[in-house]
Amino acid sequence: MRIGHLDADCFYVSAERVRDPWLNRRPVGVLGNNGACVIAKSYEMKALGVRTGEPIWDAVRTCPDGIYVKRDFAWYEVLSRKILDIVRDESPVAEYYSIDEFFFQPGHGCRAESIRDRILEETGLPVTVAIARTRTLSKLFAETVKPFGAIEVTDPKHEEEILSKLPVTEVAGIAGRRAAKLHPYGVRTCLDFVRMPRSVVKSLLTVVGEQLWWELQGRNVLALQTQKPPTQAVSRGGGFTATSDPTVVFAWAVRHLERLIEEFDFHQVRAGKLTLWLEYRDAATGLGEARLDSPSDRFDLLLEATREALRQAWKPGWGARKMDLIASNLHGPGPIQRTLFESPDPRQDALTVLKRGINAEVGRFALRSGATLPLAELYRDPASGYEICDVKGKICF
Amino acid sequence: MASGIAILRSGLPDGLMESQGHRLHVRGEGVEAEWRFAFRESRPLLPVWHEGVLRLVQWGNRDRRSHLPPTGWTWLATVRAGGWGPFGAELVDIPCNFAYEKGVWFRVRQGMRGILVPGPNGPCVYVICEPSTRYYRVMTRSERMPVLIDEVI
Repeated sequence: MRIGHLDADCFYVSAERVRDPWLNRRPVGVLGNNGACVIAKSYEMKALGVRTGEPIWDAVRTCPDGIYVKRDFAWYEVLSRKILDIVRDESPVAEYYSIDEFFFQPGHGCRAESIRDRILEETGLPVTVAIARTRTLSKLFAETVKPFGAIEVTDPKHEEEILSKLPVTEVAGIAGRRAAKLHPYGVRTCLDFVRMPRSVVKSLLTVVGEQLWWELQGRNVLALQTQKPPTQAVSRGGGFTATSDPTVVFAWAVRHLERLIEEFDFHQVRAGKLTLWLEYRDAATGLGEARLDSPSDRFDLLLEATREALRQAWKPGWGARKMDLIASNLHGPGPIQRTLFESPDPRQDALTVLKRGINAEVGRFALRSGATLPLAELYRDPASGYEICDVKGKICF
Repeated sequence: MASGIAILRSGLPDGLMESQGHRLHVRGEGVEAEWRFAFRESRPLLPVWHEGVLRLVQWGNRDRRSHLPPTGWTWLATVRAGGWGPFGAELVDIPCNFAYEKGVWFRVRQGMRGILVPGPNGPCVYVICEPSTRYYRVMTRSERMPVLIDEVI
């Protein structure tokens, strides 16, 4: 079997260049949700020393002639789905791994170079395509020919030759702590790793490392996922300007809750538990949890749970700067056991339907909780209403 | 606000620029050169579309003896309130591909809005501004942002 890996080259920048070709060959940086950090950069900007995640005030010192662009995930999704359509046309089995990465089983006669060229022709996007015996090998080999590369390696001798030149940390899934565990065994390259006894790999890196080891041997153990597996937990969150104002922090929590409820609608689930995680200015954290009497997707019940979780996570005067709201104990649309003390609330149910209907008709967040008023400026910016996590169907975040 | 703009060389006729002593700037290898316009120049200019003609006009006013405000920008609220009516102002488009503020160059998809006002030494253009969005303020640390054509940053 052959597995293909397709990776769009500096995707966000390339997507901007599709609609504004005058950005071609210029140093371009795409800024994140707040306009503060470079989340993607062109090869030209990278060559000048700007790093992903760098604050803009540092980036402009490193690259004063760089051009900074506001991210537009709705546009990136349009192009991402165009690529997905082409991949699915070329292959009966395709995995939408992330907004800019795809795995596929190449159909008969499908060549890495031809699919790369077709995507450039039909979307204007440069991509790199690698075809190998497993998904781990194809992803690894793609990195060796970026940007706008195409490579097919299915001969074990050729594989060994490439693996001998690649540091083991190039394997997706082996970095930091895992690499440190391998170091005392003299494992530096991918080939060193491949030549380790399987039992040692398993004892050091558990079954996850063993799977990678098999994959690098050329044996497929990580299947392609053509459908996103059922969701175990859903979360929404992100960073914000540090604040110790509880009204503003509560507004963020309610914003994340309303976005979570949209996800519940999409996945057809209800949550039994909410966890709220807060990060403060000095990297201290706070954690709160609240369980619902029975799984729910109703705003009023989840709001009370959010309030309770925030109360536990809150440290007065500390200056919160990042929050995640995580829903778990998810239940599908079937019947659920309610407690004896719960009674139906048709008024709240009607309000939920009304809110969903208005927002579908008028626009996302057109009708939202008054608790989000401290974030009015954020809601005024339509681009804030669509983020990377809103792109549905990807396997990976 | 925006204290400078850039437009691709092909965006302006060479004949228009020849007499102005402007220099072309190149931002990277093998890319089309750009004309740059900054308010800090001794004789600041901006390209404007006026009555279907692309022309270069003076950017704002620096002559304090003039009846015109000594600045290069104006608030959108002032324009909407008719504050420029007595000056005979007209709305114009300022084409550009990039704009500059406090060290940050940012992409502009079509251009900016401005008003063209008759002055004692010929017409001058003021860039229309509005309070910055949160995004623009974080990006440039400026409290004012230019009103862009069909675009908000």
